[in-house]
Amino acid sequence: MAKREIDLSLVDVENREMRLGSIISWDGSAEELVDNSRYELRSRDKRKSLEGCSGKKEKGCRLCELNMPFNQQTMCTHSIVGCQVGNIPDCILIEHSPIGCSAIHARFNLGYKMGLARRGKKIENIQIFSTNLLENDMVFGASDKLRQTILDAHNRFSPKAIFISMSCSTAIIGEDIESVAQEMEEELEIPIIPRFCEGFRSKHWITGFDISQHGIMRQIVNKHPQKQEDLINIIALWGTDYFTEILKPLGLRVNYMIDMASFDELAQASEAAVTATFCHALGSYMATALENEYGVPQVDAGQPYGFKGTDDWLRSIAKIMGKEDIIEEYIKAEHERVLPKIEALRKKLSGIKGFVATGSSYAHGMISVIRELGIEVDGSIVFHHDPVYDSGKSEQDTLKELVDTYGNIDHFTVSKTQQFQFYNLLNRVNPDFIIIRHNGLAPLAAKIGIPAFAMGDEHFPVGYDGIIRVGEALIEILARKKFGQVLKRHVKLPYTDWWLSQEDPFILARNPGILDEVAEPQLLESLTEDASPEASIIKSA
Amino acid sequence: MTEVNQTKKSNTIVHPRYGCAIGAINTVAAIPRGIPIANCGPGCADKQYFMLSFSNGFQGAGYSGGGALPSTNVGENEIVFGGHKKLDDLIKSSLKIMDGDIYVVLTGCSIELIGDDVGAIVKEYQEKGYPVVHAEAAGFKGNNLTGHENVVKAIIDQYVGEYKGRKKKGLINLWFDVPYYHANWRGDSIELKRVLEGAGFKVNVLFGSESGGVSEWKEVPKAQFNLVVSPWVGLEIAKHLETKYKQPFLHVPVIPIGEEATTEFIRELVDFAGIDNKKAEAFISTEAERYYYFLEHFSEFFSEYWFGLPARFVTVGDAAYNLAITKFLTDQIGLIPTKQIITDNTPEKHRQNIQKLFHDISDEFPLDVEFIEDGYVIEEKVRNVDYGSSVPLILGSSWESDVAKEIKGLLIPISTPIVSEVVINRTYVGYHGALTLLEKIYSETVRG
Ligand code: SF4
Ligand code: SF4
Repeated sequence: MAKREIDLSLVDVENREMRLGSIISWDGSAEELVDNSRYELRSRDKRKSLEGCSGKKEKGCRLCELNMPFNQQTMCTHSIVGCQVGNIPDCILIEHSPIGCSAIHARFNLGYKMGLARRGKKIENIQIFSTNLLENDMVFGASDKLRQTILDAHNRFSPKAIFISMSCSTAIIGEDIESVAQEMEEELEIPIIPRFCEGFRSKHWITGFDISQHGIMRQIVNKHPQKQEDLINIIALWGTDYFTEILKPLGLRVNYMIDMASFDELAQASEAAVTATFCHALGSYMATALENEYGVPQVDAGQPYGFKGTDDWLRSIAKIMGKEDIIEEYIKAEHERVLPKIEALRKKLSGIKGFVATGSSYAHGMISVIRELGIEVDGSIVFHHDPVYDSGKSEQDTLKELVDTYGNIDHFTVSKTQQFQFYNLLNRVNPDFIIIRHNGLAPLAAKIGIPAFAMGDEHFPVGYDGIIRVGEALIEILARKKFGQVLKRHVKLPYTDWWLSQEDPFILARNPGILDEVAEPQLLESLTEDASPEASIIKSA
Repeated sequence: MTEVNQTKKSNTIVHPRYGCAIGAINTVAAIPRGIPIANCGPGCADKQYFMLSFSNGFQGAGYSGGGALPSTNVGENEIVFGGHKKLDDLIKSSLKIMDGDIYVVLTGCSIELIGDDVGAIVKEYQEKGYPVVHAEAAGFKGNNLTGHENVVKAIIDQYVGEYKGRKKKGLINLWFDVPYYHANWRGDSIELKRVLEGAGFKVNVLFGSESGGVSEWKEVPKAQFNLVVSPWVGLEIAKHLETKYKQPFLHVPVIPIGEEATTEFIRELVDFAGIDNKKAEAFISTEAERYYYFLEHFSEFFSEYWFGLPARFVTVGDAAYNLAITKFLTDQIGLIPTKQIITDNTPEKHRQNIQKLFHDISDEFPLDVEFIEDGYVIEEKVRNVDYGSSVPLILGSSWESDVAKEIKGLLIPISTPIVSEVVINRTYVGYHGALTLLEKIYSETVRG
């Protein structure tokens, strides 16, 4: 086990694909993915770990991706940065881009307001600024507009820090947001934090979490920490505060980051006694940076999902806090408390099959919870896969933990919100429901009669009570099958029969020539019904 | 966060109220069996979906929008080496995988900036006879409204093509709401089609549930005339068609709401088209009778409600809805227009005209119309209006929710984005829509 280096002197972060060897397109069993990931090897030697794909087999990585010629819209790192550093109530994010890159703010606002309510903070609209760039700015540059918007933000709200995010267009025209940030930082005397998150830079939107965390580590986190022995950092999103209750016996106060945290709450991250997260794929970078830089230890365990996951997680925190003496009793009491309810749910849910489609290590946790409920899982999707996390800790190898504890998953697919594949993937295993985060996939499931549990509150499955919460919610979700069946009887999918008849969702990658073999889907003929003989330039051409 | 003082007018926008030109993917998705292909970054289409569909009445993306939408998801490799191959692969595979009748490639900022010749790639498909069209949709060149106009013109030029044959008397091409951007667009087009057909016309609605898809688009050149029902969106299209097909157009800047306006609208059209007015008049009298049957019932509530009704109102929204709703509430209900803010970045050349249309609504109350896109400034203006003694009525977007709460006003969503209601089949226009709008405003009122 070896920690990866995180260099906070650099303004930018290395992309996940380079740093961790992360992938977005793969198909096989969960066991194979554990084997191919070589977590241990990668955590020891980064360079070695990236060998292999280029032909040198031996010990290197064999996580070769399946490149498809067809892609559907997904999401970019810029969105992630927006929903992270744009969600800090007393700081302002400025998106340096044309207005389209800011078109998602109303959606962010829904999550942000819900999050503020869940954390008991004042509920008010999100304030993300756009420099609203136009054609001339692309030709002549837009640094003055950026300066103006920084002043606007400062004059309107007196934020404690200002973030600036780069978009594709501003990156292409070479806007120097770093210099403007430095210059304005001197003028306004608050941290001004440039973030390079143009959507084209990484195929992993999740790189956006690292970019956000890196900026906070560099320019907000307190560099001269005064230890707070009862403070635990939980790197989270907008989830309900279940962690306070779970951690009460250990006498810990929770410091949630990054969403809805104030400047000061972020600053005190370096003062905490320990760092943990609901999802290592999301939290590992910052947890490791805090550990390396300020000696704040992070959990030596997987994630708090299911009995074993929660047990291990609590033990690890207890150990760091020097409270091993009390934890076993707590765990035992908790098991006894929840077990009767879980047994009852297992009876109700027996014979049911589920399918999970979420971000990577969160999916590992989610599958643990539903298997704990006796639900069968023989297929799932993760939107990306990290063969190793930044901590390099083998105890955090969540996929291995899942397979070791709950057994293999025959069809374990890495696919980044590609709806067209989702049809074939679901058909392969035919589940009774899906659990999902991120948009774009659930509508397809609904149209083929499979109800979706949109896991909007990511903390819902956390801890022992999380198992019960999920079980109860699933009973409600399964009832919605009726609606799906209605849709299935009456609504057509936007895919051709040829595609829907494919058994292999990755056929286009494995056999690229196949596109040439497919018969034309009637398109050419439709042109013959022209409005008039001379009606179509297409036809006459 | 504590607010300080307001700065001078600048480029800054917070709380955006429109998407970029790539948002016109929705225009394509609104055509039955139309398949949009986004040629831009991985997040561009997603962001427009969230602005125009999800956070806008949770409309859903339909057959080919949202998660189904093909996209090149341009990455570093394409930025450096060009995106030709990726686009070519995508078009080729889309034709095999997506079951559609027309495929429209929309090119966003990044590809525009690196200068790929998208037209050349698409042309190869066109020459082989595939129904593929390309449209420029860089966000720095325009928003989703001008993007909508561009996409329509591209489809006309590259798909519908030349036509020199005869026109069909009484056939109208309707250029009206911008699909998805107007959250009620689906219901609106059903109502307007109903009105036009009732009056004796045939209509190419071109988008939504009532459209016949590409075969209807092929009929566009045959229409007797183009009808633009909007203060500015669609005029470019109509002018283009006028040149291309020698097709005249009628511009009705105010969307008709309520019996009097809709009846007047029908008569104007019948007159313009020179068709027989018997059918129209019969339709009008049936509609009018029904309308006033309901209005009479409503009037009892309106005159006898003890617990306070709103009187002064502000509107915040795009030019089309803003103008139509302001007119209806002022002219037909007797509410007092206090501030009207147009948020759609109306092109400069139309602004004066639109201002005049507003001023013509009332002799009694001078209308205060402004064009503003920055939500911070907009919300500040809404906050500082003098609403007199009754409850402030704000017809706006969900961004006005904080200020509405602050001034204890009623917020009726009429413009993008809308996150406080789910819109399915609803309209505020024509005969039926006016009554629904009243229902909406006064349900909100009695709820308190
Ligand atoms: S242009 Fe780039 S940064 Fe902006 S939304 Fe598209 S992919 Fe994301
Ligand atoms: S403004 Fe340009 S870069 Fe941004 S989302 Fe629109 S097309 Fe993409």
